Amino acid sequence: MAAALGCRAPCRTGWLPTLQIVRHAKSVTRHWKAMHFERQKLMAVTEYIAPKPAVPEKCIAPRIKAVKEENGYAKLLRLQVAETFRDSKMIAVCQHNFTPSEEMLLMKHRLRKHNIHVKFFPNEIVRPYLSVSKYKNLLPLFVGYNLMLVSPEIKVKEMLRILKNMPQINLLGACIDNTILSNQGVINYSKLPTVEITQGQVVGTLSLMASQMCGLLQHSSVHLTALLDQYIKQQSGGAGEADGKAGEGQAELGPAKSSAGL
Amino acid sequence: MAVPKAAVVLRHVKSVMVRFCPFQTNVETTRIFLGHVNSKKARASNISCVVTTDVRHDGSEPVVDIMFADGDRLIMKGANLTAAEMLSAFNSRCIAKDLKAEEKTKKKGA
Repeated sequence: MAAALGCRAPCRTGWLPTLQIVRHAKSVTRHWKAMHFERQKLMAVTEYIAPKPAVPEKCIAPRIKAVKEENGYAKLLRLQVAETFRDSKMIAVCQHNFTPSEEMLLMKHRLRKHNIHVKFFPNEIVRPYLSVSKYKNLLPLFVGYNLMLVSPEIKVKEMLRILKNMPQINLLGACIDNTILSNQGVINYSKLPTVEITQGQVVGTLSLMASQMCGLLQHSSVHLTALLDQYIKQQSGGAGEADGKAGEGQAELGPAKSSAGL
Repeated sequence: MAVPKAAVVLRHVKSVMVRFCPFQTNVETTRIFLGHVNSKKARASNISCVVTTDVRHDGSEPVVDIMFADGDRLIMKGANLTAAEMLSAFNSRCIAKDLKAEEKTKKKGA
């Protein structure tokens, strides 16, 4: 009891608290235990306050933005797009609606026979490339689901024939031999004759003029000689009418003799 | 692009004609609508529906002309419409026709 209440033992050396509580709870516990109130006050008063600069650092130093590394696949696709546009003479852009895989495979096979390749590229890759290159006017076509038919040769008739059988693939436009054509333009292009025939027609038209030139130059003199011949005949015909009649009779006998002889 | 996920159903549609000029800049929504109409589920819902595409180069506005089986006609000029609006307009009409057809069958049954 005396221990519980505390003992009042006078000490000569220093000051001792008047009350010493002997029975107390453990100071080191497994659960979080609140500090003594006085200790709490002391901790609050002696809390560390960090020194703040007059101008915060955020205002002085610029924010370092993380540099986004480019996707390797996007780079590869861009290279492929550039290569496709560089190496192809004929590039046709079509709208790609849903096509069953078998039909798509058949179409690819038929086109491949004529060395026409079917290419799919994302619009996000193609549009930046087109906006910088000479194919700027093809930009409006690359919206939505598209496919490209590319070929190093120009085979428009075969391509149109194959696309006629595929109602799901709609031809929007084409760039043939550095010339941008619409749907109707491609159809008209396919109806043109071949280059050799056209060249032959041009050569024929040009040589026609040259061949007619000789005739034109000689025309007047030939006409004059014909007129003179006619005049001479008329003159000689009038003078020798009598001679001519005798001559005609001889001429009649002649063929009759010859026929009898036969 | 907020395009509804609900599939296009062509059950009451006789024919769809889409006309646009691809070199213009206002044809995106019409082309998206055409893609939805030509989708796998849409084609499977009605095999006899004819979808024609008219690609021109005359600067005309993009137009979608839908002919329904009961003679109704829906013409949508897609120059200033979004794909979602076009699809919702089309779907609402299809749903209305569905309800009409259901009412008719109920009356016949009764």
